[in-house]
Amino acid sequence: MSGSPAAPHQLDLVPDALLAGRAADGDTAAFEALARRHGPLMRASARRLTGSTADADDIVQDALIQAWNQLDSLREPAAVKGWLMRITGSRSIDHLRRRRYDAGLDAVETNRDSRRPDGAGSWPDPEAAALDGSRVEALKAALSRLPEEQRRCWVLKEFNGQSYEDIARTLNISTDSVRGRLARARIALASTMEEWR
Amino acid sequence: MSTPNGTFDCGHDLAELSNYLDTGELQDPAHLDSCPECQAGLASLRRLSDLGKELLDADVAEAGKGTDGWMQKILGNLALELRPGRSIPLRGGHPDDTLSQTEGAVSALIRSIADTLPGTTAGRCRLHGDVTTPGAEVTVEVHLAIVFGHPLEERASSLRRQLARELAVQTELNITSIDITITDVLEPQPAGPGTAAGLMDQTPPQEKP
Repeated sequence: MSGSPAAPHQLDLVPDALLAGRAADGDTAAFEALARRHGPLMRASARRLTGSTADADDIVQDALIQAWNQLDSLREPAAVKGWLMRITGSRSIDHLRRRRYDAGLDAVETNRDSRRPDGAGSWPDPEAAALDGSRVEALKAALSRLPEEQRRCWVLKEFNGQSYEDIARTLNISTDSVRGRLARARIALASTMEEWR
Repeated sequence: MSTPNGTFDCGHDLAELSNYLDTGELQDPAHLDSCPECQAGLASLRRLSDLGKELLDADVAEAGKGTDGWMQKILGNLALELRPGRSIPLRGGHPDDTLSQTEGAVSALIRSIADTLPGTTAGRCRLHGDVTTPGAEVTVEVHLAIVFGHPLEERASSLRRQLARELAVQTELNITSIDITITDVLEPQPAGPGTAAGLMDQTPPQEKP
């Protein structure tokens, strides 16, 4: 169904809702335009959630396949970006669960979850990063020292733009847990960053 | 200014302020106007939020463009299943022939006609009615985006004429009306050489071995 002569650049200029409407009709070219448009954000989120550049591309690919197959369920075509990011978030979390299971890393993850954000360890050091002059680098380092569940909440909120309710569904926890973990993540991050203002 | 778990002297804490930033909900929002501690806490959370956006921008930039090789590779792997839609029966030249075309092929035809009009791009294209029964009344619904500056009425009526003609030639549908809705008026894009749109015309897609 991609026989439409619309040049790629023509589709790259039209709004999301229009592309989503075409894609729902079966226009693969319109779907690919959506993928090109939002793929970098999907990739960035998957990388930040999984910490792996190699896995991120598999996740983006899986998310796009799921999106194509479920386009009928997208009620509001204009909301396609948030919808793609929700799919990317749940594919990333599934991937992390599978990876943990596959590698038998339960113990390692549990240890990491129980670490205090300010605990000493071999994780990147926000202090050193801040001294290097980049506050963004310092935030990266501080993020990597957060307990896994807090970091997931933070990325799903700040990168994927998901609501508390969406994050709760993605992580299979309560909305109150999301609220609490996100707050703890922010308090830890803000406190680390304030030291380096 | 605050205890390690973030509770201020006023009784509020950073967790409440974190929730307030996302939801706008706080038991006594007026309190924020008069409480320096809460104001400082909010400012700190907002600085973190701004820094988070900087990190996001940096990560997206590092992820590369959607037109780069990595996305080409992903798109190449997708092998999207086609959605043909309903099957529309066609009269064969011979009584024993069973011929049909797909709803997807007809909507692709509609899109291709709309896309070739100057300054227009098709959105959703739907066939309403029982297309699987020969002769049943069918209405065509087309959404259209038109670049600002193009004559909207003229494009719509010209599209209606062309669609009526082409659909009569290329399908056997009994089309009773063609409903065109202009859903978007697009910002004009500079399309000369050296601009983004012009460059995209000239640059072949990157091939990676």
